[in-house]
Amino acid sequence: MSSKKPSLQEKIARLRASFVEQLPKRLAQAQQHFNLLRSDPEMNRVLAVELHRAFHSLKGTGKSFGFIDLANAADKAEAYTQQFMDLPADCTPSDWPDTLISLMHQVAAQVQILAYSDLKNDCVLDAPFFDVEETVAMRSSSHSPLVYICDDELEQVDHLACQLRCFGYQIEHFTETSAFHQAVLKKRPDAVVMDVFFPQGKTAGTDELASLKGINGQHLPSIVLSGREDFEARLSAVRAGCSAYFIKPAKPLELAAAIDDLVCDKQEEPFRILVLDDESEVAEYHSLILEKAGMLVQQIHKPELVLDALRGFNPDLVLADMYMPNCDGVEVAAIIRQVPEYVGLPIVFLSSETNRKKQFKAMQVGVEGFITKPVVPEDLVASVALRAERMRTLRGLMAKDSLTGLYNHTTTTEMMSTSLAHAIRQKETLAVVMLDLDKFKTVNDTYGHMAGDQVIVAIARLLKHRLRTTDIIGRYGGEEFALLLKNLTPEKAEALVNELREDFSKIIFNAGNRQFNVTFSAGVSFYPDYNRPEDLRMAADEALYQAKNQGRNQVVVGKDKV
Amino acid sequence: MQILVVDDDALASEMIAAVLEDEGHQVFQTENAIDALALLGQEAGIALVVSDMNMPFMSGVDLYQELQSQGSQLPFILLTGDDPKAAWAQAPTINACIMKDFSMEETLPAAISNVMVIAS
Repeated sequence: MSSKKPSLQEKIARLRASFVEQLPKRLAQAQQHFNLLRSDPEMNRVLAVELHRAFHSLKGTGKSFGFIDLANAADKAEAYTQQFMDLPADCTPSDWPDTLISLMHQVAAQVQILAYSDLKNDCVLDAPFFDVEETVAMRSSSHSPLVYICDDELEQVDHLACQLRCFGYQIEHFTETSAFHQAVLKKRPDAVVMDVFFPQGKTAGTDELASLKGINGQHLPSIVLSGREDFEARLSAVRAGCSAYFIKPAKPLELAAAIDDLVCDKQEEPFRILVLDDESEVAEYHSLILEKAGMLVQQIHKPELVLDALRGFNPDLVLADMYMPNCDGVEVAAIIRQVPEYVGLPIVFLSSETNRKKQFKAMQVGVEGFITKPVVPEDLVASVALRAERMRTLRGLMAKDSLTGLYNHTTTTEMMSTSLAHAIRQKETLAVVMLDLDKFKTVNDTYGHMAGDQVIVAIARLLKHRLRTTDIIGRYGGEEFALLLKNLTPEKAEALVNELREDFSKIIFNAGNRQFNVTFSAGVSFYPDYNRPEDLRMAADEALYQAKNQGRNQVVVGKDKV
Repeated sequence: MQILVVDDDALASEMIAAVLEDEGHQVFQTENAIDALALLGQEAGIALVVSDMNMPFMSGVDLYQELQSQGSQLPFILLTGDDPKAAWAQAPTINACIMKDFSMEETLPAAISNVMVIAS
């Protein structure tokens, strides 16, 4: 760098930092454009231009700030997008989404590296020069959400409840608002589907929601499903704080999407923080502060336990003391960075070190930041949360399939190895399920890709709701999914997959005014029958193949051939 | 000297402005060519335009050509994330064309003094 006046260098440093902070947001936006473009390449062709501009701007501005690797990755993505735009719509190669996804992953990888080595670490709490919109933590999968339906028209509701159950919701149904009222007081549901008109009054349904709000001061997350389409009914829904309004007969698939939006708002897993400090009282103090802010904390007091703790606890961030006997924080950080899967894990040091030289040495091994002792509780919580959140967003972008939010192929494959290792250590069983939609190409050819995507999203939704949070769900290929089910007996696992299969086959899809159903076939294999990840996967694949050959819409369990 | 910076990327624009202000210039910023044309109509004191190449609706070269067709003699420096030669070939009479990179804090002031010497 040249010998410019410090003020310019400071300004540039701040701009660089703002740029790095904005990267996840820019990336998320590009991803959104890409999703829309893929869902309908002809209608949304203009988004290719947006995407091109996004990559171009990442390249140009990245280069201006000296982030050459990022600029190069963005350059490749830009060039490919240009190629895509230059070709007529009917000549685009069929694998363009995959190619573009992999190029975007390369950009995301560079963003991740930058975000964790960015050099503004010593001023953690400096407000960024530009406002950065808050990033939304990736959603984690959950247990079956509880939904109350309150409607006096039995016939319609039965059909709706049955369909929603197929998606994995728990449904309770009330025909009278008074019964609904009692149920809410007893157990608060995750979402409500409410009719407006009841014999007791023209807007009795929405009035009930409004009165419940009066009792505990909170809106119940609710959706209106009504036969009335007039202004008064709609207004009553708005006043009761309902987030969506559906006219009967509503499509269960659309209703499910709206319910998911309601439910997912509040499902954010707490940040997981690993605290490493040789003084147990200090570790305890910091843990308390973080736990009070709603984070999940594990403490260790010996540096040599760090790798085990990372494996077992899988934290979003490590908060480590800089000075410990035997092995200091810089060395611990270097050890953590030796393991490829932890290259991006944020590490924050706690130290009384204000010596820039020593801080710089720590940054060379990729330490995220410093918090100076004695800590101010609010500062500690803020800087830990900020970094952990960034980590999650980036990890989510890299690891998840953009259409379904499930783990992508690469991550699923990795998870298979780690889950198997975990099962072996814990002496548990592990079931690997390969699941493939039947005749999916016919669905796409007959009803169009939009309808096809609808099916993919529906099965993803069903799996997310029905499986346990500890189970892993991945989109393994276009219409192929992989499930890793922990600690289930073979009989239970088979029964569970069969239940999923039956429920899924009952879901009714709509394309224009045509309706159709889709089924899937699945193959299952188990550890300890097989004890290497590739053997497990192949055994499940073979079982799947057999299920397809025997006529589809069935589950086959691969038997140990040894 | 008063300089107009045109760039649709706010951070890139700030970066350029920081370099120019450090050189003692007064900087105006717009995020597209249309606003740039409007501002040039109002601010007669602007003596130089520094513009990004790739922008929505009107590119840097489009802006330059529009200014030329209006009879403007303002010196014009084009910045680009791509190969500067390719952009320059589109409008060879542009005074200078510079690659956007981390050496901009040196290349840009150097280009400005060159351009201004020739222009005067």
